[in-house]
Amino acid sequence: MTGRTLLDYQAVVGEPAMSQLRQLAHELAGATVVHVNSTREGGGVAEILNWLVPLMNELGLIASWEVIEGNEAFFNTTKAFHNGLQGNALALPQSMIDAYEETVATNAERMRPLLEEADFVFIHDPQPAFLLELCPYRKGRWIWRCHIDVSHPNRKVWNYLKSKVSAYDSSIFSMPDFAQPLNHPQVIVAPSIDPLSEKNRELSAAEIDSTLARFGISRDLPILTQISRFDRFKDPVGVIEAFAMLNSSVDAQLVLAGGGATDDPEGAVVFEEVQDAAKGDDRITLLNLPPDSHRDINALQRASTIVIQKSLQEGFGLTVTEAMWKGKPVIGGNVGGIRLQVYNHHTGYLVNTPEGAALRIRELLRQPEKIHQMGATAKKFVTDNFLLTRHLREYLTLMLGHRRGMKDHLIAV
Amino acid sequence: MVFDTEKSNMPFEVRDCALITRMAGIDTAINLRELRERVAVCPVECLFHHFCETQIRPTFDDPEFSNDFAVWSARNLRDRVLAERLGVINPYTFGNLQELREAVLEIIDDHLSMLPYIPWVPRGEDFRFMAATTVVFNTGKFLEAPQDLLDALPQFSHSSIYYHFIEARRRTENRTDDFSAWLAGFGKGCEDLINVLGKIDFYYLPLRVLKETIISEASLQRERVGHDR
Repeated sequence: MTGRTLLDYQAVVGEPAMSQLRQLAHELAGATVVHVNSTREGGGVAEILNWLVPLMNELGLIASWEVIEGNEAFFNTTKAFHNGLQGNALALPQSMIDAYEETVATNAERMRPLLEEADFVFIHDPQPAFLLELCPYRKGRWIWRCHIDVSHPNRKVWNYLKSKVSAYDSSIFSMPDFAQPLNHPQVIVAPSIDPLSEKNRELSAAEIDSTLARFGISRDLPILTQISRFDRFKDPVGVIEAFAMLNSSVDAQLVLAGGGATDDPEGAVVFEEVQDAAKGDDRITLLNLPPDSHRDINALQRASTIVIQKSLQEGFGLTVTEAMWKGKPVIGGNVGGIRLQVYNHHTGYLVNTPEGAALRIRELLRQPEKIHQMGATAKKFVTDNFLLTRHLREYLTLMLGHRRGMKDHLIAV
Repeated sequence: MVFDTEKSNMPFEVRDCALITRMAGIDTAINLRELRERVAVCPVECLFHHFCETQIRPTFDDPEFSNDFAVWSARNLRDRVLAERLGVINPYTFGNLQELREAVLEIIDDHLSMLPYIPWVPRGEDFRFMAATTVVFNTGKFLEAPQDLLDALPQFSHSSIYYHFIEARRRTENRTDDFSAWLAGFGKGCEDLINVLGKIDFYYLPLRVLKETIISEASLQRERVGHDR
């Protein structure tokens, strides 16, 4: 758990936003809420539950967090589910389904009393989805929270999962584009960032300088940064092409930082391609960072003049949110959730090509006041819409909506 | 006391609201004809969401268009003419949402009749029909007199402004905002303030700007009343 309290967040989002949370939660005081996922550490879902569960408790709900325990066969199956839901072609033999259902059934024996008594059960992602069928005497509302983009799933995997999640009272998706039709309400809760996490908290100028020095990056030239895994969908080579188009008339340096080059075979290949593309230009810094480099990434984003996220395919794009939170304009690929965050001329620019990125970088570097203005708008936009307090508010709203059946447009509590 | 209140009135209960959006359960539209077909049959809640709840939904305050159909026409169909025609619609000028639907269909039909082709969008840019559930809750704050409202307005959340000043027009008998309805209960002393509030062009303003406008207009009116004394 993060150890951070509502009061800590109040200093960031202000009293009115926090007061809203307290008023909503007042109506849910004493409600029991159980979250179930498949891991306590690592990954975005565990990160969310690490702050969500304690904050719900602080607001007067009785929230707890259960984790599915499984063997290798189970996790191989759920990994296959994950890949299949994202559209990869794969076989789903009965042996995999058996391994999955047997493991969830074993977990159900342990969790059943808690789950059947809870007022609200949030099941995160496919791994624990089968639990609902195994809790026939459940008295509360069960909500399936899908953190994955299931817009173009492998039909075989989706049909199996659909048979498990259809009986839920509602499901939550991160974006309308990620959803699949189901016969219950499908609500949309966008992802969020934790403004006080290592990746997003304020850093001293001295710490930022020391991080830059450690990586051999000077402050003499404006810093253009893309933070992303070394993955072709993030188009790091396209970013280098855009940088090359700026030619010597624009004084700037480029930093490409991310992971994936050591723990992912494809990432290593992409990293080599990026190294080749950057060869000969000493204004380009490539950083292959370990997965826990949150504070270094924070410092790099804060030191940046402009942040680039020139993805060719993207989920929500939380690196964009993080950069905007730090008051940076973003030049982003015109795809996925980047479109929900980058608004041309306001919070940055959407681009489709390396040429487009070069054009906008050049435009911004020549107008420092525009960089400042867009950065301020971007930060305000994230403060209002993409911090964890909004995320929490929507969970509370959904729970209150469920208490009244989710049928009416306006529900007074 | 600044405003003459010839009558006493019930306290004003400050409420707030929170929105949760959901898929409307209608197929997406990939071209303008499909949009027309879906708009013709979608529930009115869906129209209300795409026209009226854009201000409160977590989204960028689009300075160009206030409804989602106009935004989609401009950004995805890349049809600025249609976007402008849809963008100028003020849903609050219609007697009900069915009339609003008919107006939207009329514009789309007219536009389609003049085009030699059906404009469409690439896969992934389809129009997704949404709706929302709004949960309304008490803030525990009550206002006793008109000047209390002016003093309290800076502390109102944007969603509270939305609920009392915009959403109210859908649920009140005279299709007015909650502030004006309450102020009317104090008699003639508040008529000018009610008129000032009634002239605010609320639909095209982001909630942050709307709140600032209400505060500044109401404060000016308070000063005028003070001067007239």
